[in-house]
Amino acid sequence: MRRARFFTVTKRVFKDLKNDKRSLALIVIAPIFVMFVFGLAFSGEVKNVKVVVVNQDQGAAVAGGGTMSLSEKIISNLDAEVLKLEYADDRDAALAQVENGDAYAAIIFPSDFTSSALAVIDDRSSGSSTDIELLLDKSNINVANAITKAVNDALLATIDQAGMQTPVKVETEAVFGQNAKFMDFFVPGIMAFAVYMITTLLTLVTFVGERTSGTLQRMLATTLNERDIVMGYAAAFSIIGIGQAILLLLVGILVFDITVVGNVLLAFLVIALLAIVSQALGILLSSTARREAQAIQVLPFVVLPAFLLAGIFWPIEAIPTWLRPLSYLVPPTYAVDASRAVMLKGYGIGKIWIDIVALLAMAAVFLTLAVWSLRTRKD
Amino acid sequence: MNEGASGYMIEAHGLVKRYGKFTAVDHLDLQVNKGEIYGLLGPNGAGKTTTIKVLCGLLKLSGGEAYVNGKPIPDRRIAAQIGYMPQETALYLGLTVHQNMAFFGEIFGLTKREIGERERDLLEFINLSGWRDEMVGNLSGGMKHRVSLACALIHMPPLLLLDEPTVGVDPELRVSFWDYFNDIKSQGRTIVITTHYMDEAGHCDRIGFMHNGLLIAEGEPGELLVMTGTDNLEDAFMSFSASDRKGAEQ
Ligand SMILES: Nc1ncnc2c1ncn2[C@@H]1O[C@H](COP(=O)(O)OP(=O)(O)OP(=O)(O)O)[C@@H](O)[C@H]1O
Ligand SMILES: [Mg+2]
Repeated sequence: MRRARFFTVTKRVFKDLKNDKRSLALIVIAPIFVMFVFGLAFSGEVKNVKVVVVNQDQGAAVAGGGTMSLSEKIISNLDAEVLKLEYADDRDAALAQVENGDAYAAIIFPSDFTSSALAVIDDRSSGSSTDIELLLDKSNINVANAITKAVNDALLATIDQAGMQTPVKVETEAVFGQNAKFMDFFVPGIMAFAVYMITTLLTLVTFVGERTSGTLQRMLATTLNERDIVMGYAAAFSIIGIGQAILLLLVGILVFDITVVGNVLLAFLVIALLAIVSQALGILLSSTARREAQAIQVLPFVVLPAFLLAGIFWPIEAIPTWLRPLSYLVPPTYAVDASRAVMLKGYGIGKIWIDIVALLAMAAVFLTLAVWSLRTRKD
Repeated sequence: MNEGASGYMIEAHGLVKRYGKFTAVDHLDLQVNKGEIYGLLGPNGAGKTTTIKVLCGLLKLSGGEAYVNGKPIPDRRIAAQIGYMPQETALYLGLTVHQNMAFFGEIFGLTKREIGERERDLLEFINLSGWRDEMVGNLSGGMKHRVSLACALIHMPPLLLLDEPTVGVDPELRVSFWDYFNDIKSQGRTIVITTHYMDEAGHCDRIGFMHNGLLIAEGEPGELLVMTGTDNLEDAFMSFSASDRKGAEQ
């Protein structure tokens, strides 16, 4: 009996959307648009960074005759995709290029590079070690890190090839996310963010419409009660949220070639929960607005904290400690974390239950508040 | 109060509704018999809409008591017995005429077939048979108003609370509206109507004049004319409100 009644509201929301091409476009196109914009802009892979090499290394004579140059080997091991190498004659010229912003870094090999290095290797106890000098523009931390990593990698590779022993080695093995790209990390995040933003926006605007047109009161004068209405909306928007998640996942797989290792159904469940929380939030916020225009004014307060604090672009751990508690107050945080864990790491429900409990708790609180906000209109 | 025994469809004793400090309905005593058309008349701000909203459970009473079909209000369970037409055209503009009517029908648990049959009758009555699949947003103001009325009637409840159902409706159609209301009445249903049109108030079985939240006079249209010695309800109302003002000054 009750189920049938709230379902009437659900059906009506869908009919309304079917007739309303603009909202439909918002549901379908906006998340894809967001994904493309951020996906392309933040793709996070540093490529073709201009770096100036100054190689003054004289090399060293080897036993079988001829000379060898360690620096040449290291240079040839530099990742050519990340670094675009150019050469300069001396340190000053290279430094000038970095200072002018023509290049992000200068790599300088001193003239005694190979010979000093070999001397240290031959006689470990004595001799002073030699340095590769890296003059770095650290103003762009992503680029700077990429360059440092490329140089270190090249050095290690060279040592390895030369058959030399380093006393300690770091053995890296990907536990999760072998070959993970930025988009693999990003799609679960943007999925949650898009569903959160669009669901909240849409319920907010739709519900302000229900309030101002009098249809809300009219519904409340029927056998429908406040709970039926909120549940009806919740059912509609959780289905819409899952639809958006499916759509984004398809675009992610087909266009951005992301890898999904976990059970996507679990991720969809999480997204549906997030949609329920978001729609309840939308209904709640609609009580603060008398007109649609006023409703739009609260949007920045809904969207921005989620955008910055939910861990969509960077992990929560990258957020200052004193701000982090706020992260746990924005609903998408849990959905981002859970759907990322599921899609990227293949976690099951046993490992993301905390996120699910948090979302369920938020849903309970916001749904109750939404129902309550509809009830208080009678006084 | 021995509820239910009275046989009234609506019964209110000392009903008060305040918005903050402002008293919109002031100790209203009202009895509406089953199967009658009761007209609530009064100028803007008299408290007609507020009274209707209290009766259909949309607003809490601030004082007094009221019963609808013997049940004290507010009570959700009587909602199915009420057809409420709000003063504003509360419809989904993005849905068609049919979709709006079907929505309100489904809420009350009507089957598809029942909705189909009633919709056909109602569309004929509101003279919009050809507009079934038109978006409500594309209709004229008066047409929307007619659809709104049809939505209130779709589940054929025993009590209809209609807030200005004839406003903006052209005179010819208004006549047929009253014929229809009399039809509904002859089926034993009760109708409470608010209106500004004093001329059509003559169709009501009984009339209540409201002024500043007070019910200042009540009776059959003919009685009210005799009481005031006037020949139209407009003058009758003027005379009542004038004496009410005098009464207030004393
Ligand atoms: N939500 C509200 N908050 C505060 N005051 C209100 C509210 N609704 C109505 N009022 C006041 O209550 C009084 C009665 O309003 P009501 O709408 O019942 O009048 P009405 O008789 O229906 O008038 P009209 O003929 O214009 O429809 C008015 O003075 C109005 O300003
Ligand atoms: Mg009114």
